[in-house]
Amino acid sequence: MSEFLGFERDDGSVGIRNHTVILSTAPYANDTVERAAAIVDDAIPITHPLGRCQTKPDVFQTYRTLLGYATHPNTYGAVVVAHAGEIVDGDELAADVAETGRPSASINIHEETGVMNALTATVNAAQQMVQDASEQRRVPADMSKLTFGINCATSDTTSGLCQHKATAGAVWRLIDEYGGRGVFAETPEFFGGEEELADRAVDDEVRREILDRVEQWDERLTATGYDVRGAQPTPDNMDGGLTTIEEKSLGALVKSGDGPIQDIVDYGAKIPDAPGMYIMDSPGHGAESVTGIGAGGAHFMVISTGQGHTLSNAVMPTIKITGNPNSAERVPEETDVDVSEALVGGESIEWATDQLWNEVQDVVNGKLTLSEVLGESQFAIHRIGPST
Amino acid sequence: MSDRYLEVVEPVDNVGTALRDFETGETVTVAVGNEEREIEVHDDVGFGHKIAIEDITDGETITKYGKSIGNATADIPVGTWVHVHNVESNYGRGDLAAESEVEAINE
Repeated sequence: MSEFLGFERDDGSVGIRNHTVILSTAPYANDTVERAAAIVDDAIPITHPLGRCQTKPDVFQTYRTLLGYATHPNTYGAVVVAHAGEIVDGDELAADVAETGRPSASINIHEETGVMNALTATVNAAQQMVQDASEQRRVPADMSKLTFGINCATSDTTSGLCQHKATAGAVWRLIDEYGGRGVFAETPEFFGGEEELADRAVDDEVRREILDRVEQWDERLTATGYDVRGAQPTPDNMDGGLTTIEEKSLGALVKSGDGPIQDIVDYGAKIPDAPGMYIMDSPGHGAESVTGIGAGGAHFMVISTGQGHTLSNAVMPTIKITGNPNSAERVPEETDVDVSEALVGGESIEWATDQLWNEVQDVVNGKLTLSEVLGESQFAIHRIGPST
Repeated sequence: MSDRYLEVVEPVDNVGTALRDFETGETVTVAVGNEEREIEVHDDVGFGHKIAIEDITDGETITKYGKSIGNATADIPVGTWVHVHNVESNYGRGDLAAESEVEAINE
């Protein structure tokens, strides 16, 4: 299969879902967004505590993350809800969405003279988009259009021995055999393996950039004055047998395989439209790294977990794989693909890779993941500096 | 025959990962590269946790995947459970920084 059935966009991307999103630009629009999304079936609310009283690096990061979701390949259209005049500007965001050919609307609570009018306007705009989106049909598209996100979640010592190897096999299958893209993140989880990772860079500039970013994270964490243990590894990582951030990292890097790294991009930035494997600079905090990778335009994500995790995303479907037989049994609703037979049974890593690849093919063609069926999702934009 | 439930990733590693629960007093044959090594387990070690496959001295590097995952903070005899109580990390150690940029807040 070199094609999948997807939703074509005017900007040349092809989605595997056809979502209408309703986004707030500041916390004071969150209630209106949540209420509108509760009324309009199938509309996805995107809310956050940011977008106001932030310094410029955070403003840019918040803006590009929100824009990433509003113009995601899986997004049909976007309704932007602002509270008033904000530094993350609602009209500008809606205009940038419209430039990609997607339906967009900008609602401002102050201009609508209050939340009741704003709620009505938001519902009306989203209702129209959801209905229009339902008329669009899937069409054949080349697999090279796809971007495959990968992330760890509650890693344990089984992760690096089994499920991460299957994840690496599947992502490199998309890159090598179909000309697609892959992306992983979580820079502090390169600690201890950064030299070997940087040596995979396509050129010396990218190699230097990877090492610099790892060093910046170590400096940022050291500047707190505390030992990072407890935050990395997390208590659930340690329950699973992981002892230090280095051990967690060396396991985590297994999921990226050993092929070349094209570039390392800023948090929430669009993944370049050229084949190969990319890194997004993000913290190891799963909700933040997954939110960033979604903003980068990954169509779907494989979450390779040790102990099981609810980690998921509303716009970018997440496929959860584990090789830990205890986790697969304990949290079946968080286990899309159980490959524990490759760790403690008679199966091989190649078998595990095929199991995952088959699920990927089904999901890109429309099969719902467990977290989509259960309506589970989180959204957390990484922040750099203080509020002002 | 070696026990496949104690996995050593690289021959230079000095720890193995338990893929089942191990009990104090068990004797296990572990595959290290092409060699086999017999060790006696000295702790109850749960699924996913690590066991020293050779004597490790205080301060020595703990090696897994052929790389450092930290340093021993005590002597760790072969067959002993290896975890946060006897290993420390070399990254994100703000507690060891000579001059912290942020004044430590009293816990």
